Amino acid sequence: MTDITSPQSASTHGIFDSDWMIRVRRGSEALAIPLAALLVSALLFSIFLLALGKSPAQFFQLVWLGGFGTAFSWSNTLLRAAPVMLTALAVAIPARLGLTMIGGEGALVLGGFTAAAIAIPLIGSGAPLFMHILMFAGALAVGAAWVGLAGALRQFRGVNETISTLLLSYIAIAIMNFFVEGALRDPADPNKPSTKALESAEMIGKLPGIDVHWGLAFAVVACVAVYILMFRTTFGFACKIAGGNARAALAQGLPVGRLVIVATLIAGACAGMAGYFEVAAVHGKANASLATGYGFTGILVAFLARQHPLAIMPVAILFGGIAAAGGIIQRRMGLPDATVLLLQGMTFVVLLASETFYGRLAIFNPKARTERT
Amino acid sequence: MTGERRAIGLEAVKMRKVFGGLVALDDVSLKVPAGTFHALLGENGAGKSTLVKCIMGFYKPDGGQVLVDGRQSAIANPREAAEAGIGMVYQHFTLVPSLTGAENLVVSRPRGRQIIDWKAEHAALEEFLARMPFRAPLDKPVHMLSAGEKQKLEILKQLFLDQRFIILDEPTSVLTPDEADEVLGLLRGMTKRGDVTVLMITHKFREVQAFADDLTVLRKGGYAGAGKVAETPVDAMAKMMIGDTQIRERAARVAQKDAPVTLDIAGVCADADDGRVAIDGINLKIHAGEIVGIAGVSGNGQSALVEVLSGQRPMREGQLTIKGSDFIPSRQSMAKYKVFGLPEEPLKNAAVPNMTVAENIAFRTFDQPPIATLGWWLSAGPMRKRAQELIARYRVKTPSADAPIAALSGGNVQRAVLARELSGEVDVLIVANPCFGLDFASVEEIRAQIMDQRNRGAAVLLVSEDLDEILSLSDRVAVMSEGKIAYVEEIAKTDRATIGHHMAGHGH
Amino acid sequence: MDAGLALSTVIAAMLGGAIRVTTPFLFVALGEMLTERSGRINLGLEGTLVLGAMTAYAFSYGTGSPWIGVLAAGCFGFLMGTLHATICRLPGVNDIAVGIALMLFGTGVAFFFGKPYIQPTAPRLPSISLGAWTGDPRFEQALQINPLFLIGIALAIFLAWALKNTRMGLVLRVTGDSEAAARALGHPVMLIRLLATAVGGFFAGVGGAFLSLYYPGSWNEGLSSGQGLMAVALVIFARWDPIRCLYAALLFGAAGALGPALQSIGVTQGYYFFNAAPYILTLFLMIGSAGSKKALRDAPGELSLTR
Repeated sequence: MTDITSPQSASTHGIFDSDWMIRVRRGSEALAIPLAALLVSALLFSIFLLALGKSPAQFFQLVWLGGFGTAFSWSNTLLRAAPVMLTALAVAIPARLGLTMIGGEGALVLGGFTAAAIAIPLIGSGAPLFMHILMFAGALAVGAAWVGLAGALRQFRGVNETISTLLLSYIAIAIMNFFVEGALRDPADPNKPSTKALESAEMIGKLPGIDVHWGLAFAVVACVAVYILMFRTTFGFACKIAGGNARAALAQGLPVGRLVIVATLIAGACAGMAGYFEVAAVHGKANASLATGYGFTGILVAFLARQHPLAIMPVAILFGGIAAAGGIIQRRMGLPDATVLLLQGMTFVVLLASETFYGRLAIFNPKARTERT
Repeated sequence: MTGERRAIGLEAVKMRKVFGGLVALDDVSLKVPAGTFHALLGENGAGKSTLVKCIMGFYKPDGGQVLVDGRQSAIANPREAAEAGIGMVYQHFTLVPSLTGAENLVVSRPRGRQIIDWKAEHAALEEFLARMPFRAPLDKPVHMLSAGEKQKLEILKQLFLDQRFIILDEPTSVLTPDEADEVLGLLRGMTKRGDVTVLMITHKFREVQAFADDLTVLRKGGYAGAGKVAETPVDAMAKMMIGDTQIRERAARVAQKDAPVTLDIAGVCADADDGRVAIDGINLKIHAGEIVGIAGVSGNGQSALVEVLSGQRPMREGQLTIKGSDFIPSRQSMAKYKVFGLPEEPLKNAAVPNMTVAENIAFRTFDQPPIATLGWWLSAGPMRKRAQELIARYRVKTPSADAPIAALSGGNVQRAVLARELSGEVDVLIVANPCFGLDFASVEEIRAQIMDQRNRGAAVLLVSEDLDEILSLSDRVAVMSEGKIAYVEEIAKTDRATIGHHMAGHGH
Repeated sequence: MDAGLALSTVIAAMLGGAIRVTTPFLFVALGEMLTERSGRINLGLEGTLVLGAMTAYAFSYGTGSPWIGVLAAGCFGFLMGTLHATICRLPGVNDIAVGIALMLFGTGVAFFFGKPYIQPTAPRLPSISLGAWTGDPRFEQALQINPLFLIGIALAIFLAWALKNTRMGLVLRVTGDSEAAARALGHPVMLIRLLATAVGGFFAGVGGAFLSLYYPGSWNEGLSSGQGLMAVALVIFARWDPIRCLYAALLFGAAGALGPALQSIGVTQGYYFFNAAPYILTLFLMIGSAGSKKALRDAPGELSLTR
């Protein structure tokens, strides 16, 4: 079926310009299709709102207002975007290895809980730096172990990682509840069962100039660092081979098992870091409010960003904004708080359906492959 | 079964099929009279599969017509083909592995009662088998049958469905020579009695000469010739098939004297995915500058052996030694002992389909300078530069080094892999069905490269289901049967028949 | 409380709990089994379960008939299954990811429309008393059986029979085991998968109806916490066999009933830990069964889960 015997078979002509063009086309495809999916979901959601007798224009205006319109809404947005960036990384890193892991919620909760538990004996001890280093290390280690466990089960026992990570999330929440409502409950706290709270002076402070805690800076640095690790190093390249074709990776002598373990450990550490900042900078303690769905938003963000660590940042900010606007939408339009969840679910469904267009649109793929047997 | 059909004749006139801008079938005609055994010859990509898929209604032809017993028939899908009495046995079995033989036969019937009366069905099947010239087990799940039993069951299925024009797509590729002769002989008998008509896709001249009445040859999607088998000598068939394609000369075999053992496989055992024993105590020594060919019917442990050697399957027992030192298939030892491989179906075993050609070519070298700095920093520039050199040197036809490798044709994917694996020094080369599904010219080139490595002193292990490939390349041949080496001999001291008997598991 | 009495109380409570807790597991597992037998995996049944619970409650409240609620839950489950199958038939779309999306989507829809139904009380499904013969009020209470439980058992037996003895059953198995074979036989693979996924969704919806209309018997946003997902794992453990799905669901029911049963005799220590018991049990069962060679042999050939 090939004509390799013809003299022009060697691809010597026009290599350089066509290389460049191919990269541009592939890049714009990865940008255009998710954007189109976002637009389509916005359209579908508008139709949905119209059917309920609500105004889509008002909805999007409120999203703008509540998420991006003022300095206050921006800080609200970034406050939510920071943990979502990290939980999205917890999805995107394993995805590079071909694993669909959705356990960010569990690693966040357990990481946050660990940080809070480590803090209990140290609160008010006068050594906040020491305390925070221990909390940070503990949260990262436990988050890493949680997702790494799913990676190990996948690699060595063939346990489906999607189901196991989700199960581990439920188990993580149960573990936190077990301690927060039992042994580690702070009897002095009149509200819902929680661990002992950090003193406000011991909490992690704001970034200079904006009203957002340091977690945002760490999240941004994590995104960039993961980008470098996965796209610019031999480790990332090996992960890409193993993720694309484990058999080929093994035939190249690559330690696929070790790559899976290391990558899932890093993924879990990211989510654990999100938990640390939720405790150390937002809540000051561990309780049921740790499990508010940042892990699940992270899944959507990672898919929408096509598992690219740098693209995760703007997408996380977009969904942070939508979440930040949730309250105002609820009050002004009389919509239930599940509106944001519904919009996310709808976007996710449309986005996955749009995956079918990759490699099949003529503008991005000048010579679409012909079917041949 | 009442009103049993007899053999039917079929004629395809000026069939045409275009995929995209590519003419896959260019006004091809074919005539198969009732009760004959017809061979359809051609190399891979010649359009044989496209032609029969048009006849079967899998594809909608862009031109031409099909006459069944002289009447024009519009066959829109495989079900209509079945109603017209045309059935096909595919190269890859279409029996359902988890269903029993009986369930497979019953479910293949186009119509039937919604609730199955198994008692009546079993009685009917027994009565049907009693009338057939051969049998196959009906009560075991198909995945427990041997390849020969499966092939017989496939053919029985067509007869059970009362199909009297049977198309066979490379029916003997999974059979031992003896099994192949048995099955084809039985079919030959049935055509002679006028029970069925057979159209067999093949590229094996031996089978054409032994069993077929007539032949039609396709080349590059077009009609290349036809005739009576009795009046067509083999070299005429070959000329029709290949045309005047220029083929690169294969390097001559350089004699190696008293070469040391390079690869020593000692007592190697490994399990299959489902826990059954895949290979059981393999012992084999391969010398420098030697090609050892491993023959065998597929599924007798050859792929497991290759997987163990290339690190894709854990070794349960045994030891691998290269030049006297222990060898574990890790990246470091592969580089140290210069172990390389050409697997079958490279897109599945050796390449990552959605990575670029340049990236795929860098799989061996991405962690070494100049691509890697300090052992971990990756530079895209040197990677692309090296890929472009190798693309030019090995004449890989690709729109760009940055195109995903999956966009390349099979021959060019294998060339890209070849460029990656063979461009440096090679001491051990593990090869498995390297030419599976490739066109004639690529096949010759790849075989020449393997011979070239041998001549430069590499120890080559060649696993192949194509006995001709083994006979033409190997210095020694080993036969694998049921996970064991059943036979080892120097190529000069053995022949096709002896190897065939050992493949079937009954050596002398 | 003396030890013997405590033990029989725990056993009675576990028995009753198991029978109650089993039903949604059983329906979702049978639905997933059917879907996976066609060669697809639908991880979204958790969302379908929640949506089914909400619609059942809403329709029961609106019409006054809990059985109309059950039917409505099934129909919405059918729609969710249809949506899953419709998206998955597009080339290049991953069924596992679509399942995750539908899990979020189903939950979102249920929470969005379910807000007004958290407060009101809807008519619940009746139960049948089968425990009068024991003469022990604890066991009488435990053997208050919901008709859906019996329907679920009958369904498991029927599916086991149908997969072997009907043409449709055989065709479904062909499709799940070898797409190429199904196509060669001229069967509409995508349509068969669509039907299997949609009917599987119907079953999961009915399982959700049980949650809101019988046990626990009210609608709220914390109603299902992973039962749908555990049922998916259970199908692997049951190696795609309807009867083994029934046994596995009973086992899960018993594990799920452990926490409340211990609470009934005043053991409150570790209540949250026992709440985690079903998840941990699921995980261990997955570890035990996923790597097993037997499971690999029985898995439908087209299933992406085990590849």
